Amino acid sequence: MSIYLPIAELSVNIFLLLSLGGVVGFLSGMFGLGGGFLMTPLLIFIGIPTNVAVATSANQIVASSISGTLGHWRQGLVDFKMGGVLLIGAFFGSILGVWIFSRLVAIGQIDTVISILYFALLTGIGLSMLIESSKVIRDRIRRKNVKRKIHYHNWAHRLPFKVRFYKSKLYISVIPPIIIGFVIGILSATMGIGGAFILIPAMIYFLGMPTSKVIGTSLFQIIFITALVTILHATTTFAVDAVLAFFLILSSVIGAQVGVLAANKLRGEEIRALLAIIVLGVATKIALDLLVEPNEIFNLSVIRLVF
Amino acid sequence: MIKQLIILFYFLTGVMTPSISIALVIGSDQEEIYIDANFSGEELLVFGAFYSDPSQSRDSKSDILIEVVGPLEDVALRKKDSYFGFWLNSKSVTFRDVPGFYYLSSTSELADEFLINNQIGLLEKKKSEMIDWSLLTTDWGSIINEKEKEEFYNALIRTKQNDSLYKQVSDEIEIIDGNLFRSYIDIPNTVPVGEYTVNLHLIIDNEISQEYSYNFMVTRVGIEEAIYSFSKNYPFFYGLISLIIAIIIGWSGAEIFKRFRRI
Repeated sequence: MSIYLPIAELSVNIFLLLSLGGVVGFLSGMFGLGGGFLMTPLLIFIGIPTNVAVATSANQIVASSISGTLGHWRQGLVDFKMGGVLLIGAFFGSILGVWIFSRLVAIGQIDTVISILYFALLTGIGLSMLIESSKVIRDRIRRKNVKRKIHYHNWAHRLPFKVRFYKSKLYISVIPPIIIGFVIGILSATMGIGGAFILIPAMIYFLGMPTSKVIGTSLFQIIFITALVTILHATTTFAVDAVLAFFLILSSVIGAQVGVLAANKLRGEEIRALLAIIVLGVATKIALDLLVEPNEIFNLSVIRLVF
Repeated sequence: MIKQLIILFYFLTGVMTPSISIALVIGSDQEEIYIDANFSGEELLVFGAFYSDPSQSRDSKSDILIEVVGPLEDVALRKKDSYFGFWLNSKSVTFRDVPGFYYLSSTSELADEFLINNQIGLLEKKKSEMIDWSLLTTDWGSIINEKEKEEFYNALIRTKQNDSLYKQVSDEIEIIDGNLFRSYIDIPNTVPVGEYTVNLHLIIDNEISQEYSYNFMVTRVGIEEAIYSFSKNYPFFYGLISLIIAIIIGWSGAEIFKRFRRI
């Protein structure tokens, strides 16, 4: 059974969409990630136009990050003040991101730029997950307990405009979080991702936030960033496909919940190593698409219908 | 789904050239194709009858030609080139007023000369030096040399053919009883919406003897149309509604499963 997507203007198999959403949802629930970094390239692989894949993915992340935030919020693990400061930067970043995106669409380079960005991103994520999980596995075998520093003091603590973030027990300048938010905003708008896997390490290492507050806070601000990106794409690139989003959201929310349950039952490192391999596989496919001479070196896009 | 609206028109040559009695009778089973949630392409049936003039010499050759021309659009054709091992889009050409769908079918293969003389066809029949570039009113960008222009032109046709949007055949018209003809034309699910023109020609000895044209529409209907036009007319509210749906499903999904887990 196939369904016609009104904005992508093509019909796709409904079960393919549901299983794609389900699998990405499952992985995101299991690892506490948004899943946008897998959703967008997979949508492109099944033939969804790049601009629709990016814009619709942002819409889907709104749903999955709301699901995720609720749990953290109830446990008081969201630093709203930090989230708000990050959002100031993210607001301007996503406006710039959507502008860059529509310029790239206009000059016909969007596919290439998205491919290169995704290749870099997925290779980075995949390798770091692989290294991290294999280290944990190795440490476990050697029965080592690794002690971690609670606080990192670095240049971020020496800048002006210092503000006290009570929840995170921090007294730092607002400049680093605004810059981080700005960068995440650009990435979110151009790639259709929430950016948690960049945001979380940045919050821990640059800002020195306590690990317990990081996930909730990043999810909280991802809701708003992706919501803004959805609206910006709907109004400037007209690429948000509500029908596609609906099926992806439905299946990914269910998948995410199943993933959370599964995460409690399974050992983390082995699965994380598996995810790392999946991510690297997707990265390899993207790289091959860029490197192997295509069968058809010409591609056509409709600019305007003449009425 | 198919609206069985039979339009049966017929022409008697007598009306225009009273001396010869040849007729072309045309029917079609629909005047609209609807794109809805389940649309996966459709078959357009074109049928009719033609009567030869009894006084016509026996060895004269008659052919039926069916041409379907979709709505015009502007397209950008981009060529990939290798840069340091990466295949990236480089040169780009804009073609203006190109049919979004084009189908040309005849009972036997027609000579290029005939097609060119009668200005039928935009496919490979128009070869190299015969292409009148000015008709395409294109923006050639940085391309100046004729060979490259031709390469782009051929690529335009080829990419459209690969998407099943352009087709030229000479074996799809069925002739029944020597006077009746019938043809099923594949309308793929990627066709653009708009007005389509069907041109029919009865060709006798390489001369167009009879012509007939009619139009049909490809339109979006139902929820697909509602969503599409809403997204174009009220993009802000469309985005907002997409968000609200995401929020509702995201929120309720978490709530429902929380209850599950308690049990």
